Amino acid sequence: MNVTLLGQAALNGLLFGGVYSLMAVGLSLIFGVMRVINLAHGDMMVWGSYVAFFLALRLGVDPFVSFLLCAAALFSLGVLVQRGLVNRVLEAPHEMQILLMLGVALVLENLALVIFGPDTRRTESAYGLETVWLGPVFVDVARLMTFVLALAFSLALYLFLFRSDLGRLIRAAADNSYGALVIGADVGRIYTVAFGIGAACVGAAGALMSALVPFSPAAGFAQTVVSFNIVIIGGMGSLLGAFLGGILVAVAESLGAVLLVPSLKELVSFVLLVLILLFRPQGLFGRKTA
Amino acid sequence: MLKRRTFLKTTGAAAGAAALGFPAVLRAQPKQIKIGAVHPVTGPLAEIGQACRLGAQMAVDAINAAGGIKSMGGAKLVLLPGDSETKPDVARTVAERLINDGAVMLTGAFHSGHTMAMVPVAQQRRVPFLVDISAADVITANVAKSVKEGQQKVQYVYRIFPTTTTFGRRAIQFMNEIFKATGVSPKRAVLMYTNDAFGKPQHEGFLKAHKEQGAPFEVVEVIPFPEVPTDLSTEVSKAKAAKPDIICPITRPASATLLLRELAKQRVDILGVISPGAPGLYEKGQIDALGKLIEYTMDSVPWINPISPKTRKIAEEYAKRSGGKIFDTNSGYSYEAILVMADVLERAKSTDPDVLVEAIRATSMRDPIMVAAGPIRFNEVGDNASASTAMVQILGQKPLVVHPKESAEAKLVFPAPKFWERG
Repeated sequence: MNVTLLGQAALNGLLFGGVYSLMAVGLSLIFGVMRVINLAHGDMMVWGSYVAFFLALRLGVDPFVSFLLCAAALFSLGVLVQRGLVNRVLEAPHEMQILLMLGVALVLENLALVIFGPDTRRTESAYGLETVWLGPVFVDVARLMTFVLALAFSLALYLFLFRSDLGRLIRAAADNSYGALVIGADVGRIYTVAFGIGAACVGAAGALMSALVPFSPAAGFAQTVVSFNIVIIGGMGSLLGAFLGGILVAVAESLGAVLLVPSLKELVSFVLLVLILLFRPQGLFGRKTA
Repeated sequence: MLKRRTFLKTTGAAAGAAALGFPAVLRAQPKQIKIGAVHPVTGPLAEIGQACRLGAQMAVDAINAAGGIKSMGGAKLVLLPGDSETKPDVARTVAERLINDGAVMLTGAFHSGHTMAMVPVAQQRRVPFLVDISAADVITANVAKSVKEGQQKVQYVYRIFPTTTTFGRRAIQFMNEIFKATGVSPKRAVLMYTNDAFGKPQHEGFLKAHKEQGAPFEVVEVIPFPEVPTDLSTEVSKAKAAKPDIICPITRPASATLLLRELAKQRVDILGVISPGAPGLYEKGQIDALGKLIEYTMDSVPWINPISPKTRKIAEEYAKRSGGKIFDTNSGYSYEAILVMADVLERAKSTDPDVLVEAIRATSMRDPIMVAAGPIRFNEVGDNASASTAMVQILGQKPLVVHPKESAEAKLVFPAPKFWERG
């Protein structure tokens, strides 16, 4: 077995893992706080990608800068979806929530289709084709930037959740929404902010990813599935689990492409999922709760 | 992109003119003949599906403008467009729906998997299905076999597109001729393919032809990848580790983009990219997105005949109606399928399925708009015996036929400049 090739694959996977982590963190946050499964997650991501694409096309803003604007745009979208729709079904059975979010996903996908057309797009970045060579192994600069920025974004989120008052309230509401109500927290507002932040994460991830991977309106569903896979592997509701799960899945897929046939690489992450469900159903970092 | 408004305006105007201009003919008109066309108009193959639909619609418009089907009292063709959403199950249900809506013939479906899903519908409902694009041999071969063995009475499925066997043979033949002409002989080739109903038989056809016909190069590594891929960096690293002289990719649009970018990023040192026949390597959207990275890429694909004045005229009109896109394999073959159907109807003078099949079998249509080895004729399995490919190379950001010589419109460049030396 070619060691260079393995090392290269592991590195590629690791650097790609940053965006996987960021999108999974968003999903995990929304689920952790509201117990709502955001089936529109991947489609929100695609919208983040489109915002980055048009900012690059019309204003020449690099996606490695504009991802913050994309996060802001998706935050607003998240707030609207939460206020207008999700809020109404918070107490409803899970299947109702799932149907609602599936509907949101369909609307987002088809709106994108109507507005942007079906063509596959990719956001241009000045770093798009840059590479740095370390002996026989190369580092894809765009991937490295993506990784670093996704890491920074996740870190900022962590600091927000653990060091700020609003962050603490969000965590409190996630742990026990009734308790949070009792101590006078505005749980409605907290939910709105949390959904917005979850959407902002996936918006930023979409912007960063759009520089690496082509996207189209139809690309959302696959990303939703990947996000779910990661979140379940990491542990539902655990942000650390989502983050590490993202990197784990990306590295596993990348190595799978070398060790198995590349067309089977997605198998690797789903085998991981099955194993986790069999032997550690709460996920790698999830808490054992009913 | 074709704007809906302009489309509505132009077709509306045309319909209005027809109604005002020929009231007498209108009254005398016996009927309309409905043709169902299923293409992946949305989903990952949408750019291609829309090209196919526009090609078919333009052919219908052209035939109607020239007086419709004359042997049937000038009956007009009506295209019933169907969208497979790039999903085989949807292709099947849409085909059913179009038949219920009155389609007397079907065409489509670009993706071999989708076409295969439609074949049983055509056979069960006895609706002649003229496949415009789909390469997998089994599509027609399976039906021909079951007719031969007596399980089916009549074959309703025919195809004007080359089969994977033809693709493989032509690709190896053209490569050998090109290597001989340029005096450059690659020794090692890596074959990369999209692992679906098109890519798998297509790569088998190439390997089989390589074995039968021989070539100066050895296929040192075969790398399948999933479609739609999210990332091809590891696949390309794997290809690079095999030290290839040429890369032979069988792609679709998304994978083609990823592949060419990764080849450049990872500085894979090759003489060129030569595809044995695949989409994603010549469409306008792809060229716009990839720029110099797609330059010099060769693709042995069925192509429009650049020498034919008839084809050139259609290509100009196509550019106008599509907002500047290229009349290529996809729009071209969908256009040609409608021309063949019109020719069949003209001779059949009927919409009875079995009479239509008789007429299809007797087809000998001269002057096809696509590069071909003669008039369109169907062989015993129902495939167009003259279907062929041409070697197309992206030169100056345009796909141009560079081989064979009799259809060539530009001189090929091989070996290609390295990705990182292209300015």
